[in-house]
Amino acid sequence: MRELNVESLARVEGDGGITVTLDGKKVKSVTLDIHEGPRLIEQLVKGMKPEDDITVIPRICAICTLSHRYSALRGLEKALGVVPPEKAQMTRELMMLGENVESNSLHTFMLALPDFLGYPSAIAMLNDYPDDVKRALRLKKFGNHVMAVTSGRIVHGENPIIGGFGKYPTKKALEEIRLKSHELVPDAVRDVELFASLEYPAYPEEDMVFMSVNAPKKQYGFAGDSILISNGKESDVEDYKKLTNERVVSHSFAKRSLYHDKPFTVGANARMINMGKRLDGQAKDLFKEHYSERWLMNPLFNNLAQAIEMLWSLEHMPDVCDQLASMDDPPNAQPTRQTGTGTGAVEAPRGTLYHHYEIKDGLIEVADIITPTAQNLDDIEKHMKVTAERMLAEGKSDDEVRLKLEMVARAYDPCISCATHLVELRRI
Amino acid sequence: MHKLRDAPGGAQKDLRAQLEEIASSGEVYVLGLGNTDRSDDGAGVLVAQALKGEFPTRAFSEHDGVEGTVLDISEKGDGATVFFVDAANLGERPGTVKVVKREDIRDREITTHRVPVALMASILEKAGSRSAVICVQPKQIEFRGRVSQPVARSIDEVVEALRGLMTARDR
Repeated sequence: MRELNVESLARVEGDGGITVTLDGKKVKSVTLDIHEGPRLIEQLVKGMKPEDDITVIPRICAICTLSHRYSALRGLEKALGVVPPEKAQMTRELMMLGENVESNSLHTFMLALPDFLGYPSAIAMLNDYPDDVKRALRLKKFGNHVMAVTSGRIVHGENPIIGGFGKYPTKKALEEIRLKSHELVPDAVRDVELFASLEYPAYPEEDMVFMSVNAPKKQYGFAGDSILISNGKESDVEDYKKLTNERVVSHSFAKRSLYHDKPFTVGANARMINMGKRLDGQAKDLFKEHYSERWLMNPLFNNLAQAIEMLWSLEHMPDVCDQLASMDDPPNAQPTRQTGTGTGAVEAPRGTLYHHYEIKDGLIEVADIITPTAQNLDDIEKHMKVTAERMLAEGKSDDEVRLKLEMVARAYDPCISCATHLVELRRI
Repeated sequence: MHKLRDAPGGAQKDLRAQLEEIASSGEVYVLGLGNTDRSDDGAGVLVAQALKGEFPTRAFSEHDGVEGTVLDISEKGDGATVFFVDAANLGERPGTVKVVKREDIRDREITTHRVPVALMASILEKAGSRSAVICVQPKQIEFRGRVSQPVARSIDEVVEALRGLMTARDR
């Protein structure tokens, strides 16, 4: 028996590793080991007022900060009987577009691309691809700007509040976003072309099930009250536990999820598969051009999906800005009850994020957060296992296997800090 | 917090003198990194915030968007110097300050959260700018904790050294 290890998975957020246990040439198991300690945030917010919760909860993560805040807001507002005005809902949509551009630009270029181009890191890539690296930084900077304008600051903005916003973006700020997003579309198109030109290894291919929110009005989007499943079913977000079925495993501080006892995928590829027909603009054309049946089996296509989604986000911003600029600032909606339950679901860049709350007499009694990475962990292990089996059967070296396993794990854009490093090959 | 491997750092001589040695004759920028939610981990941000009032166009922190700031400085191409300031586990006494030169930055901090400092330093170098990381050894990084006394003293020391250098360049 022997082990193949990636003790510390680079280019993901948090502390994890991968262990592949081999018995001869047979792969006994592949585990994604989560070393990051549990945060216990759900316990921390018990007894808090909802308005205090939304300040604490986003501290789970510094990149999905707005997704956490938005999902919490949706859950809390449902529980409190709050219906935010249309302008608040649209401003939240704009902040999610900004976060999507910020996060997808960083993941695709800095974390995923070096593997495909044969570099150990984006730093090593800089000499040969300076324009691509700078393009990614321009996109990230703009995503950060949109997040700051809508939420008050780049990280952990406090402007989105229960029932609306502390302050709405000015018409001048919206006009700047409208113009800049339009200006950056060609950069995003180049990114899609770059990721479409990459070779996606077939090793991880295996049937997949995809879940995402169902954005309202049959549009593409990052929030919704029901969940679409690629098997054709749809489920109310309040039934999130039946979809995720969280459980504990011994090798990980993060909980795991299964749907009908099988792993499933959340993320940009899931959104494209469930809602890709709703895309518009160049994003629609490029999705149509580059989509293939392989997307349904190969998690590596999540990278291309993120690039297309980033383009859609930029193309969609001008319309959202125009609509927002035509609306007067409404008063914030107020709670209509002090006791109730509610579940919020939004699409963080790396997948569906649930926040469930039970409130009694104005104080939080129960908080339950299910992150995208926690939902993806079993799926990551499934695709790493078939990758290891196929590569070892072909006599590939341990180093080659390690790299491909890391590529599979990184394709999911995992945030281990959110879910609570990464490859070890163990022979028995 | 900055994750440096075997950071060699500068000898423990006068901090201002170390910064003078590294800085070019151009503008000096400060980029404070870290997380103020985690007590001493926010040392870099606190340094930048302390300098922001006097040097609003040259003192930046995580809250201003680090990558965008680096991109803007690199595109100016005017031979500036950027001092990143961050808490770093140096294996030293709490509050110890070390200056790590660009060529010695070997961070492994490649996360989904921010572009690594080593990459930002490389971008700056290609644009003709200099950079270094001023590292402060934290005592504690507890969530919602207070900044420790030794780190608070070091923050003041770093602010004074940078203020002196930046003011001198303005003359």
